[in-house]
Amino acid sequence: MTQGRSLRSGFLRSAEQHPDRAALQLDGVVLSYAALRQRAATLAQTLSVHAPAGEPLLTAVFAHRSITAYAGVLAGLLRGHGYVPLNPGFPTDRTRGMLVRSECTSVIVDAHGAAQLGEVLQGVERPLVLLLPDHDDVAALAAQWPQHRFLGKADLADGSAWVPGPVDANGIAYLLFTSGSTGQPKGVMVAHRNVAPYIDAMVQRYAVTEQDRFSQTFDLTFDLSVHDMFVAWEQGACVCAPTHAQKMFPGKYITDCGITMWFSVPSTAVLMNRLKMLKPGKYMALRYSLFCGEALPVEIVQKWAEAAPQSVLENLYGPTELTIACTLYRWNPQTSPAQSEFGVVPIGEPYPGMTLLVADEQQHEVAVGEAGELLMTGPQLTLGYYQDAQRTAAAFVVPPGRSQVYYRTGDRVRRPAAGQPLVYLGRVDNQIKIQGYRVELGEIEAILRQEAGVDVAIAVGWPVTASGADGIVGFLGADHADTAAIRQRVISRLPPYMHPSELRLVSEFPLNANGKVDRKALLATLARQAEAVE
Amino acid sequence: MRENMQESEIRAKLRDWIVKHTKATGKTAFTDDTHILEEGILSSLDIVEFVLFIESLRGEDVDTDDIEPQVFTSINTLYAAFFTQVT
Repeated sequence: MTQGRSLRSGFLRSAEQHPDRAALQLDGVVLSYAALRQRAATLAQTLSVHAPAGEPLLTAVFAHRSITAYAGVLAGLLRGHGYVPLNPGFPTDRTRGMLVRSECTSVIVDAHGAAQLGEVLQGVERPLVLLLPDHDDVAALAAQWPQHRFLGKADLADGSAWVPGPVDANGIAYLLFTSGSTGQPKGVMVAHRNVAPYIDAMVQRYAVTEQDRFSQTFDLTFDLSVHDMFVAWEQGACVCAPTHAQKMFPGKYITDCGITMWFSVPSTAVLMNRLKMLKPGKYMALRYSLFCGEALPVEIVQKWAEAAPQSVLENLYGPTELTIACTLYRWNPQTSPAQSEFGVVPIGEPYPGMTLLVADEQQHEVAVGEAGELLMTGPQLTLGYYQDAQRTAAAFVVPPGRSQVYYRTGDRVRRPAAGQPLVYLGRVDNQIKIQGYRVELGEIEAILRQEAGVDVAIAVGWPVTASGADGIVGFLGADHADTAAIRQRVISRLPPYMHPSELRLVSEFPLNANGKVDRKALLATLARQAEAVE
Repeated sequence: MRENMQESEIRAKLRDWIVKHTKATGKTAFTDDTHILEEGILSSLDIVEFVLFIESLRGEDVDTDDIEPQVFTSINTLYAAFFTQVT
């Protein structure tokens, strides 16, 4: 067993050094490091007393934006386990699927999760130990589900009895389910030794101190939440988690909480812009503003730079399989607009120790200037998919002529010239063939955004054919617009095979569970309408 | 009386908008006290649309920098915050 640093190490060190500093601010409550450590140790100790021997080294946390959620994450780690976040905001069938597939025996549940237990536990046969630390009485649950063990407030053990046990640095720090193209979520196993270099790189790059205040816009089921918690706690800083209501008004939250480190998906900034929250000079306390998770539009970053003039802006890129983020790019108002393609900010250069490969379909490196799929390797390369050797083997490959395993991101990128930052072109599957022509949907989307003057525009191939699509349908994020006039301007800038046959206005784009625009849902709308016509 | 008419009309419009946009199922018992920022009723995108809708109703911008989220607790709080100063 390789011992040493694990995901909890930084938190525990900060709890020693700064016991009285704020570790977590949530819904008007501020929890010190000492208090959060005590809560976590209490949960960990309680489960250690009651959990069956030989359980998998995983603890599920079925909770959302509560103290129990954060204490639960830490409790899993204090036990020497990896944590498995489950989201009360997700459909219960999906949550049950994750719970069953993870084979977790121990589950920490907050009030949000408890409200859904009745549905989630339907058909779960494996006996579970469910810890509901906010519940005074678990007798009713215990009577309803005799095969499971329920622990409530009265069952909590003495946290001061907790002693740190060994942690395998190769072991799972967190198991995070991401959506799979087949509809079956895949559990990505991220090891302690994958996260440690990420945290080190971030702490150093952003010179994080105990004075910093981190936003937590991400749910725990989105791996970018790991950044907020564990980069902050590594240095004794405070994590500020907005409630659902506060999340609706991010501008006010930033100023009220004195956030210094902002991190969100670009869609949040787009919404803030629409709500007129990006006024010049509004967020003077922000030291860093980080965006990740989807393409970052130049127009939005320029607005943000005016609103937060003291802030360094960075675009992060990375799939869960490469641990949170694996490339980054610093926005420079002078040089960046020219480096951006299709109105999207570049994704830049790999994290320290990470190596990239831009490759063709056979995983041979393409020449500089050519587009290809991004493959990466290095210390942040995760362990693969939980109990899914087949899909792990398909995505974690040794490219021809190389000796290391690389992860195929499924993202198309291009380095325009030597020394220029890498640009993101879209998903490999966003490159489609239309009437035999290879079409980059991102290019059409950039022109749609410019000509319609909207923040978000999505192009999809429609109708779908065996080889790609017959044409393009464009969706514009606007309530009112002269679509005929916009279409005329758009088609004057594109070759005929890229012309949208139709432009539709969308007052609200469907978003997936992580807050990104859900292209599949847009396609499904078109499919339903086509069916209705037939 | 006329003012009351107006008030009930505004309240009805706010209520209709929310009922039309809500993601929650079985929310037939929607009252002026229902907590509209609870999980699952309106998404963050809905809020953008809803603020624009409120602006159109009152004929005046909403200063989103200074809104306390509590203002969006229910139709009662919304009405008090955005429509009571209208002359």
